[in-house]
Amino acid sequence: MLELTLVVSERSPMADNLCAVVNSDGMPARLVSPAEALAGWRAGDRTPDLLLVNAALNLSIVRQLAQRITRTTSRPPTVVMFAERDFRELEEHVMAGLDYIIPPFLPGLIGSRLVACHVRQVMSRTTQDIQTAANLLKYERELQIGREIQAGFLPDVLPSRSGWQLTARFQPALEVAGDFYDAFELLGGARIGLVVADVCDKGVGAAMFMALIRSLLRHTASYLDPGSQPAGDEKIDPGADAAVLVHSIATTNRYLTTNHLGQGYFATLFFGILDPTDGSLVYVNCGHNPPVMHRADGTQDLLWPTGPALGLVPESVFDLETTRLGYGDLLFIYTDGVPEAKDANGRFFTEESMLAIIRAQNSGADELLDVFERRLSAHVGFADRSDDITMLALRRQPEYRAPRGRRSAAATPPRRGRAVDGSRSARR
Amino acid sequence: MGFSATLSRNGRIALITLEGELDALHADDFRNRVEQAANGGQIDQLVLDMTDLTYMSSAGMRGLVFARQKMGEDIRIVLVRASDSVEQTIRLVGFHQSVVFSDEVPG
Repeated sequence: MLELTLVVSERSPMADNLCAVVNSDGMPARLVSPAEALAGWRAGDRTPDLLLVNAALNLSIVRQLAQRITRTTSRPPTVVMFAERDFRELEEHVMAGLDYIIPPFLPGLIGSRLVACHVRQVMSRTTQDIQTAANLLKYERELQIGREIQAGFLPDVLPSRSGWQLTARFQPALEVAGDFYDAFELLGGARIGLVVADVCDKGVGAAMFMALIRSLLRHTASYLDPGSQPAGDEKIDPGADAAVLVHSIATTNRYLTTNHLGQGYFATLFFGILDPTDGSLVYVNCGHNPPVMHRADGTQDLLWPTGPALGLVPESVFDLETTRLGYGDLLFIYTDGVPEAKDANGRFFTEESMLAIIRAQNSGADELLDVFERRLSAHVGFADRSDDITMLALRRQPEYRAPRGRRSAAATPPRRGRAVDGSRSARR
Repeated sequence: MGFSATLSRNGRIALITLEGELDALHADDFRNRVEQAANGGQIDQLVLDMTDLTYMSSAGMRGLVFARQKMGEDIRIVLVRASDSVEQTIRLVGFHQSVVFSDEVPG
């Protein structure tokens, strides 16, 4: 049952006697001094499954011994203390939950006692292992639930419009993320709201603020939206989209700074409202990495912040900016996980590489994000993913000019690649 | 790629020296130092020496926001010798109006 017992003690008549008794009970035993035992094990040494330790050794040394054996063999030994003369020495060991034997050390009794201690300790370790595994499983299940709930805070489908491609990618670094993107119809479908945001920090805390900020923005944006009320069809007040934008940003910032300032969470965010009929885009950039406007002629503009991050400063002022997507122009909105993706040596992907990829790509929005995914995953390799990665691309398809003399072809817009082409669901 | 934050005091100035990369892994160290500085008696200024700070992630920015909250309105937060990239991170997020940039440790 027991293959090797080590009696750990300075040499003494009683230690010698104990060693002999264990041997006589048919279980191999050897006496080693504490110094020898701590010096470690040579290759070829058999691993002891039981340590019978003199209670004169203090508890921290006993722990060190057991740890050393566990580390080299990955199997913790059973530990039993014995008292030589002074039973008070046993006290700290017994308090720590260790088994013990006291003299007289009688053949037969000692052998069966040690076997019983060993069986008990092995069983209790097994129970602990099962408990640890169960706790881990529970924790993983909770995270899985968190991930599923968070997925519900991202849009199921993106709005689609004829002549436009809109696509997004989202890769959390951990089970739950602080990034999010959103795209939704506003003003009765006449406008499309686009959001990409990054809540600072990571993990569950960031994920909770992501859910809060996304909900506040969407809620305030759609409740102010006059188009959500059943009235006046095609007529939209000039400036209605700007009003929606200003109102939802200011309300969200006020809510965050009033209720959550002490927690130090904030979100950088880009919120744009697109008019798909003429390509105009009114936007607010709250401290977010500037989205890249890649023009059909190859030039690039960056849409710099127009105000601070949300939740950072009470009563912040957020300016509105406008731009316009012409035919063939592409808007790339991203979070810092893209330029700051790290390879195994800690090197960043960099903003330069990012801009170069956009410059080199002259096809659809989907194709661009495919290229990004491939290049980022090649860069990161086997390194731990350090940050969430979110990308959204909006492209206005190049104007289709019918070849001269073939009028019929002009009736349908071209369909290219896996473009999100919204001929099915026009405005309602 | 390590990080360290050490706190010292000089009269009514608390100085935290930041070194290395301040990312999500190390943000707690920074926050703990800020907390110590806040609880260590009355100060007029919190000075963050960023001479050897090579990188600051958004989690690190959160530590700075936390410091602003913890210190209250009338305590100046001075950032000394922040690198271009760190300063850019702070300006981009729009937090530059809540702190003071400086080239030398005051006092």
